[in-house]
Amino acid sequence: MAEATASLGPSASGGLYLRTRRWLTHAAIFGTLILAWEIGTRTELLDPLFYPAPSKIITSFWRIYVTQGNIWKHLYVSIGLVLAGFAAGSILGITLGSLVGLNPLVRRFIKPYVIVLEATPRIAVAPLLIAALGFGAQSKIAIIMLVCFFAPFINTLSGVVNVNEEKLELFKSLGASKMQILKKLVLPEAVPVIMAGERLALTAALSGVLVAEFIQRDQGIGALILTYTRNLNMASAFACIFTLTIIGFAIFKGMELMDRYIAFWSHEDGMTRVSQNRNVRWAKQGWAR
Amino acid sequence: MQRHAVRSKASPDQNAPVVSGSGVGKTFASGTVIALEDAGFSVPKGRFNSLVGPSGCGKSTLLRLISGLIEPTSGSLQVHGEEVTKPRQDVAMMFQRATLLEWRTAIENVLLPSEIGGRVTSEDRTRAMELLKLVGLGDFAFSFPAQLSGGMQQRVALARLLQTGADVLLLDEPFGALDEFTRERLNVELLRIVTEIEATTIFVTHNIAEAIFLADEVYVMTPRPGRIAKIIDVPFDRPRELSIQTSPEFNHLVEEARDILGAH
Ligand SMILES: Nc1ncnc2c1ncn2[C@@H]1O[C@H](COP(=O)(O)OP(=O)(O)OP(=O)(O)O)[C@@H](O)[C@H]1O
Ligand SMILES: [Mg+2]
Repeated sequence: MAEATASLGPSASGGLYLRTRRWLTHAAIFGTLILAWEIGTRTELLDPLFYPAPSKIITSFWRIYVTQGNIWKHLYVSIGLVLAGFAAGSILGITLGSLVGLNPLVRRFIKPYVIVLEATPRIAVAPLLIAALGFGAQSKIAIIMLVCFFAPFINTLSGVVNVNEEKLELFKSLGASKMQILKKLVLPEAVPVIMAGERLALTAALSGVLVAEFIQRDQGIGALILTYTRNLNMASAFACIFTLTIIGFAIFKGMELMDRYIAFWSHEDGMTRVSQNRNVRWAKQGWAR
Repeated sequence: MQRHAVRSKASPDQNAPVVSGSGVGKTFASGTVIALEDAGFSVPKGRFNSLVGPSGCGKSTLLRLISGLIEPTSGSLQVHGEEVTKPRQDVAMMFQRATLLEWRTAIENVLLPSEIGGRVTSEDRTRAMELLKLVGLGDFAFSFPAQLSGGMQQRVALARLLQTGADVLLLDEPFGALDEFTRERLNVELLRIVTEIEATTIFVTHNIAEAIFLADEVYVMTPRPGRIAKIIDVPFDRPRELSIQTSPEFNHLVEEARDILGAH
């Protein structure tokens, strides 16, 4: 099973004093790093051509977002592609994963293919896709789909295959039909794993769109980074990269939020919320207490 | 089979077995593991019988055979006079672990048997709520399993078992994972309930004293190959006080069971 979150040590917890102190320490370290970078480039200890000063990067941010405002159209294009490719890849992955997982015959023979698929860097196929589909949004979406289909596929597969034996016996002893077992047991039980796969897929989609735009260079954030780098406008290239950092972070947080809603039972607050909702619904229906 | 033919405690009608088996055997894995051999038994209506024996002696196998989850390799099994071939509506099983669905609230878990049986009616909901109250969880109907303690989860599972409306209850070490206090309380509770609904019950446990305290008859099982070595009749009247466990008669029965198990 794939898991998207990395643990880098203790998270925000503890008393107010401790938390404030931790934040102050963080701010101090961050400030020092930026300052060192700034001084480093000003004294030309770092080559200012390749490592533009933070102040320059901030100026570039202002320019590409406000005065020139040229990044927006590239952002729209890239994000649109990410969403389209992600949606297509997820649907394909989840569908294939369920079909394979639910079909014992296919399941028995699928393993070698999954291994081959896993071992091959999917991105290597990108040029072939362009050759087949031609330049344009179509082949870009196909590339993104390709890089983000695997995690949902493999996670759905493992979620569907690894049904809890005891629960399965429970359903059988209750005389459940195959369809009931699928709807009431297999799919709900696979949801948290599938969601973990989706998180990985969306991150992969962001890398996918960049590769696609590096190859096709016509528009999008990837193409913009290429253009700036070629013109040795490193400050603007960095501004684009940090934009991607922010998008990546937003994706991460967004998926976490979605997980809290969809796989609510693996989160304390999710359970509390849904528990209240169900209670209210029961009361509204006027059912027995 | 024959040794049971002589039992006759109540009227002949009541004595007709609800669950019975003769020469029941189950061999797993291409004939290498004999999980159960030549099991013969019959349980009349409303009886509470327990199965006791060491790990691997085929207790779960016997329950799963009766529930129709697996088929015997030899012999025959009947419930209400009909040969068992697949899971039946009038037989319900409770597992060692609570096996609740984590994405359903307690009440929704209890309603699962009704949902699988067809549309959920308002009577089903009323009954589910009553059962939750019966097991002392009226205030936790909308809690999720992860918000409940192990003992509470097990009680939800018990309510779900009763929601099936089955009159044959198979319990596989239902409270085995719980502390002794909780287990004792739930056992007493269980006895009260099954007596009230006149269910025929087979109860698996590792604990000899528990097996004797609860049951009308104790099937003592021994491993390799799994078999019913002895059927011990428990003569105590019901309802039983916890204090009978210190009586000489009780201890005599415990000794008897222990001797059989020790001899293997
Ligand atoms: N599905 C199976 N495939 C192969 N062997 C099995 C299977 N189920 C049970 N067995 C074997 O059958 C024997 C009896 O198992 P069973 O689960 O009935 O024991 P048990 O009395 O319930 O033990 P415990 O007290 O540990 O639950 C064991 O040796 C076990 O390994
Ligand atoms: Mg067992």
